[in-house]
Amino acid sequence: MFGLNKIIPVEPNINFLGLRRNFLIFSILAILISIGLLSIKGLNLGIDFKGGTLIEVSTKNTSIGELREILSSSYSDLSLQEFGNENIILIRLQNKSNQESIETVNSVKNLIQDKVVEFRRSEFVGPTISSELLFRGFQAVSFALIAILIYIWLRFEWQFGFGAVVALTHDVLFTLGLLSILNVEFSLATIAAILTIAGYSINDTVVIFDRVRENLRKYKKLELVDLFNLSVNNTLSRTIMTSLTTLLALVSLFIFGGEVIRPFALTMIIGVIIGTYSSVFIAVPTLLIFKFRPQDEDD
Amino acid sequence: MKNYPIWKSFTVISLVLLGIIFAIPSIIYDENSKNWFLKNKINLGLDLQGGSYLLLEVQLDVLYKEELDNFVDSVRLIARDQAVKFKKIDIQESEVVVLFNNKEKINDIRDSFFQMYRGVTLQINNNKLIIKLNDEYRKIIQDSAIKQSLEIVRKRIDESGTKEPLIQRSGKKRILLQLPGVKDPERIKDLLGKTAKLTFHIVDTENTSALQNNLAPFGKIIVPDMYDENTKYLLDKRAVVGGENLVDAKGSFDQTEGHAVSFRFDTEGAQKFGKVTTNNIGKNLAVVLDGVVITAPRISSAITGGSGIITGNFNAQEASDLAVLLRAGALPAPLEIVEERSVGAGLGADSIAAGQIAAIIGMVLVCVFMILIYGTFGALANVSLIVNLFIIISLLGIIGATLTLPGIAGIVLTIGMAVDANVLIFERIKEESLKQTKVFQIVKNGFDRAMSTILDANITTLIAAILLFAFGSGPIRGFSITLSLGVLASMFTALMLTNFLVYMYLSFANKKELKL
Repeated sequence: MFGLNKIIPVEPNINFLGLRRNFLIFSILAILISIGLLSIKGLNLGIDFKGGTLIEVSTKNTSIGELREILSSSYSDLSLQEFGNENIILIRLQNKSNQESIETVNSVKNLIQDKVVEFRRSEFVGPTISSELLFRGFQAVSFALIAILIYIWLRFEWQFGFGAVVALTHDVLFTLGLLSILNVEFSLATIAAILTIAGYSINDTVVIFDRVRENLRKYKKLELVDLFNLSVNNTLSRTIMTSLTTLLALVSLFIFGGEVIRPFALTMIIGVIIGTYSSVFIAVPTLLIFKFRPQDEDD
Repeated sequence: MKNYPIWKSFTVISLVLLGIIFAIPSIIYDENSKNWFLKNKINLGLDLQGGSYLLLEVQLDVLYKEELDNFVDSVRLIARDQAVKFKKIDIQESEVVVLFNNKEKINDIRDSFFQMYRGVTLQINNNKLIIKLNDEYRKIIQDSAIKQSLEIVRKRIDESGTKEPLIQRSGKKRILLQLPGVKDPERIKDLLGKTAKLTFHIVDTENTSALQNNLAPFGKIIVPDMYDENTKYLLDKRAVVGGENLVDAKGSFDQTEGHAVSFRFDTEGAQKFGKVTTNNIGKNLAVVLDGVVITAPRISSAITGGSGIITGNFNAQEASDLAVLLRAGALPAPLEIVEERSVGAGLGADSIAAGQIAAIIGMVLVCVFMILIYGTFGALANVSLIVNLFIIISLLGIIGATLTLPGIAGIVLTIGMAVDANVLIFERIKEESLKQTKVFQIVKNGFDRAMSTILDANITTLIAAILLFAFGSGPIRGFSITLSLGVLASMFTALMLTNFLVYMYLSFANKKELKL
């Protein structure tokens, strides 16, 4: 067998928890900056949540400037953007009411008819729908967090549940912060990505916690810090392997999956990296707050 | 433990075979196949095959307002019958307020009104009578309006020649439409954007002052012309006959009039129409569609045959669309498009191609990586991974799920995440191999110890996916479906198939020691 896995020692002995203060400070800063960004700059909301009209066209020999010129005389709240390559252009318009939408799409189409090879897609989301979608997105994320917490609580001791939720909240906020900096469009698919990140990050945390629990039973006399370190080390190669295979698939999706799916793939890539980091450096150290062995303290 | 149980081998092999066989219909993808087996294929979502998704909202407020208008008319009639005068009557938001000169007759009016309408709340406040719609009454209006609208929408869509449309109620007051393959949603939107309420009214040409003052006397209405807003007609408010009495309408061509719509009434309509045209020879008859006069020709002779034509400045398409609308009948209330997503077939095909490339490249990368890290064991895990993909495709086909673009993303993601269970097992085997030397015992312990971790880890992902399904909408649901199926399939392939393959490999290679 020519497994390369011998690069990673079977029993690595890295003192992850020794660095916990530095990482804690880093994460707290990152979270504070994220919250700041979210409240000041906010997210780049797509039409799913902001409402409006989006039309994707493929053109021939027509520059984005020409299209803008044609349209800007009729519409003020207009934005055009190349989408993937210079022949495909995304037109966004902000509508005021539902009724406007039908006329808007029709009249935009009429105005640029002769410059366009194909109308690839048109989307319109009315103001009532966009606020409903935003609300439902929030609902989904909150319920998922609560359901995961309950599951962890039932399967493990409640202290683990606490650790998992701290890590999860960290991941969601940190990811949203990065989405805000990078100005990634926030759409329905992003909500799906955030939820999947939650599932993934918990998955990672659970694997480590599982080992912590096992080791708590196995090594009754070991110091907690050492025991946690051991558990992280035991599961380290799995943590790295799974993150890498997931990232490989996601990078492939990001590069080859097409323009429409790219923000989703990017969000997932960011989330997987943060989720892996937080399982090791946030979730596990959080467990140190709790005294798992009161009887040891008494000795 | 060297002898792998036969029943277990049999189960694993047959499940894998079933997984591969049932993926065939989706891979061949013969759209029009009648074969029972080949029909078990994945449905492509609108974002992949092209088509339009529309969410329509029934404008119930218009209906409530109409009902309040009826109340106003009824109060006027009752007051006239009982010779009671009132100062003022008007509609305020969701109620009708009648202000009387004195209290004397209010009770009588209220009682008479209550005889006509049940399900309204009547309040007397000094000289005021307040009439409100009850919630129950509103609900009845709402339910019947949605039911009727659904039916009319279905008829109009069918008439437009759209194949396999999905039309269903969504929530309290919305109608959801999925129109696969529709290239020109604008025409459908035009068809749905009209209420198509057709009525025939006698024109009042004598009362010219009403038109000048733009103030319709009781029992009359002022209606603008379809083509010229400044031309107005004074009409009897009561329609002599309406679109509900039509049995047929067709676009037609007339040498002198150009494109027109010919129509035919049912027996009742024909009788009414005949009577009115007989009694009103010389007057004009206005054809009103959705609050505008299309045409108002002079009645030159009685029309008793029950058929006629409507002429206007139509072109061929407009005439045939109007005929479609008239055949399908009028909507009880206008529909507003609150959400629309249309994807052209070109983008859909591009998305499928891009998704396939991403999946294949992702797959190759993961497989190469697994072999680099775990060698032969990695190759075994890759077999599981490929079978996993087949199983996802099979399950999607069998349950008739819809594959969307986010759904493809879910599959690609699953490719990366599905090896996790294998990795967990291999890492455990690696640890066990340090503790003992018996090859089969190492493998057995490895699988057993990894089991609970695999379950915990996958259940949390499933929770997220299920909630996404519950709260997500449209294409996003496709993502939660492929992700859930992928997670389930990966548990099966890792715990059963990889297990089987590892045992077979170790037995045939006759390994005496195990170093992962």
